[in-house]
Amino acid sequence: MTHFNVSNNKISVLLVDDHPMVQGGLIACLSFYDDIEIVGSTEDGKDALNKALELKPDVILMDISMPFMNGIDATEIITEQLKKTKVLIFSMHASLEYVTSAIQAGASGYILKDISSEEVYLAIKTVFQGKNYFSSAVAKMLIDNPPKNENEKLTTREQVILSHIAQGHSSKDIAGILNISCRTVEAHRRNIKAKLNIDSIAKLVLYAMDHGLIQH
Amino acid sequence: MFLPTRLLYIAAFQVILMSIATYFFVTSEYRTLSSQSLQAIDHFLIEQKKQELKNYTSLAVSAVEELYHVKEPNIKEAQIKVAKVLNNMLYNGDDGYFFVYDGEGNSIAHPKEPFRIGKNWWNLENKKGEKTIQILISNAKSGGGFYRYPWFKPSKNQMSEKMGYSVYLKKWNWMIGTGVYLDDVNKQLNKLQNEIDQHINKTKQIILMVAISSIFLIFLLGQLVNISQKKKTDIKINKLNQKIITLQEEEHRYISRELHDGIIQILVSIKYSIEATGIHLSKANIEKPKPLIHAETNLVVAIQEVRRISHHLHPKILDELGLSAALAELSAEFTERTGIAVKVTKPSVRKLLPDYINTTLYRVVQESLINIQKHADATQISIDLSINDKWLLLEIKDNGDGFDMLSYKKKNSPGIGLRNIAERIEYHSGQFEVLSSSKGTCVKVKIPKTSFVNHANKSTIEEV
Repeated sequence: MTHFNVSNNKISVLLVDDHPMVQGGLIACLSFYDDIEIVGSTEDGKDALNKALELKPDVILMDISMPFMNGIDATEIITEQLKKTKVLIFSMHASLEYVTSAIQAGASGYILKDISSEEVYLAIKTVFQGKNYFSSAVAKMLIDNPPKNENEKLTTREQVILSHIAQGHSSKDIAGILNISCRTVEAHRRNIKAKLNIDSIAKLVLYAMDHGLIQH
Repeated sequence: MFLPTRLLYIAAFQVILMSIATYFFVTSEYRTLSSQSLQAIDHFLIEQKKQELKNYTSLAVSAVEELYHVKEPNIKEAQIKVAKVLNNMLYNGDDGYFFVYDGEGNSIAHPKEPFRIGKNWWNLENKKGEKTIQILISNAKSGGGFYRYPWFKPSKNQMSEKMGYSVYLKKWNWMIGTGVYLDDVNKQLNKLQNEIDQHINKTKQIILMVAISSIFLIFLLGQLVNISQKKKTDIKINKLNQKIITLQEEEHRYISRELHDGIIQILVSIKYSIEATGIHLSKANIEKPKPLIHAETNLVVAIQEVRRISHHLHPKILDELGLSAALAELSAEFTERTGIAVKVTKPSVRKLLPDYINTTLYRVVQESLINIQKHADATQISIDLSINDKWLLLEIKDNGDGFDMLSYKKKNSPGIGLRNIAERIEYHSGQFEVLSSSKGTCVKVKIPKTSFVNHANKSTIEEV
């Protein structure tokens, strides 16, 4: 409890958690730290997108299990659009699959809800500085099972873009539909091709059909 | 409606009773009718014979008419002539002849038994204890009559029943008689009686056959009804089973969500309140009281416990990250618990499947892992999830010593049981197969692509 910096450059934090009581408890705890300012809070992933674009916070504390859109999918879209905003996953789920999915989606850190508020504060500070933060149980998991690059799974966003490609939409169309830049779509496209080890559009369409993403 | 075997036996018993009753009724009716008609035939034949006898006799009488009316003194001569004429009048081969006795029983003419002529037979008694000649004479005197008596039959050279007819020539005190043997009539009647008996036998056989085939038919129909009923019931039971499992899954999911989104969140918020209290105290330079520290640590344990229960009821990862992620998590937990290596292969795409398929396949893997742990003695397991042009394939292989099919059918196995899962998969038009040998076991599940195509697309597009 030594971080009572008198600074005008407070870290702006957006709280995304579907339970108001958790939000309340966390806000109460974090309010003791002067270099952190809770600029907003919301209870579902979809609203988090709007709030993030509106507030452009430094750090988003993101729960995973939420209505309408889960935290991982929301993270992917937010990090795609707000390069400066760091997402720190704040979840009950202590399993490798969640952690790797979150990292894939672009999260800078992953902490479990059973850690102390002091550690939460520490994590926020760490990701704000551009580093990664994983609470001890998560870090242990990652050390035991280092994420592999080969045969990586597509993220939700990539899968959505793949279905659009398979339906014959151009990058420009997709950019319009998803309200993102053409360059971002192109980047996703490259990632998809790399992950699936496919080099032509025709084969992408075939792959999407084969896996039941679109109908024949 | 099921037909109980008891009911079939009762029906069969009734058929037997009916057959016996029918048999007795029909044969007794038949016998009554036939004995009536036999009597009628007998009567008719005898009447015919009587008419015949009358005719022959009147023929004989008219043949000797002229000589009979001769006057004295030529009577003696006429009588000799008549006796001669009658002696020569034969009909029906050897058996039709005329005999003549005078009123005192002296034989005058007898072509077949000439030793009788000239002797008195008044007291001749037959087997029935009757005086044959006396009765014949008395019949004749009373205007002609019939009498049945045993007599020697020339053609057969033995005694036989004979029906005699005699008339009286009053002027000469003569009795002229002739007769037919009735053994022919009796033979004819016996033949008819035999035919009737054969008919009755035939009827008996027909009734027996009808009864046997009826009983056979009853049991056959009973079996058919029961088989089709069993099929219907099986389908119903299966549907009910699926409903129960679906309800159970829904209930689990509901409770799991309530725990995760309700209780745990409340516990977490309480934890932060306690932490905030701690910070307040430390700011006021007061040391954290021990009960507060105790509460904090216990709360963390409580949160983890509730989370574990919630996860066990329904893994949220299945809904949030999809089947392959859930399987990876499940295998990692399994490896940690048992030390058995599990290799998971999965496609790059995810969230392809609707919830019910996701849950079912997850339960397949869960049950298979439980079985492998309990029975197979395996050291390596591979779980392959893949998609080809028609099917989604899930294969769980192990290198254990084979799977006891019996134990997989045992009711006391934990979870919902592979058997139920197999039914569930088939219910969702998928296929389920367990191949087991001493080298290991392979559980194969196939889900047709038609049951999930476009699902991922729809859900992810709608989400964004």
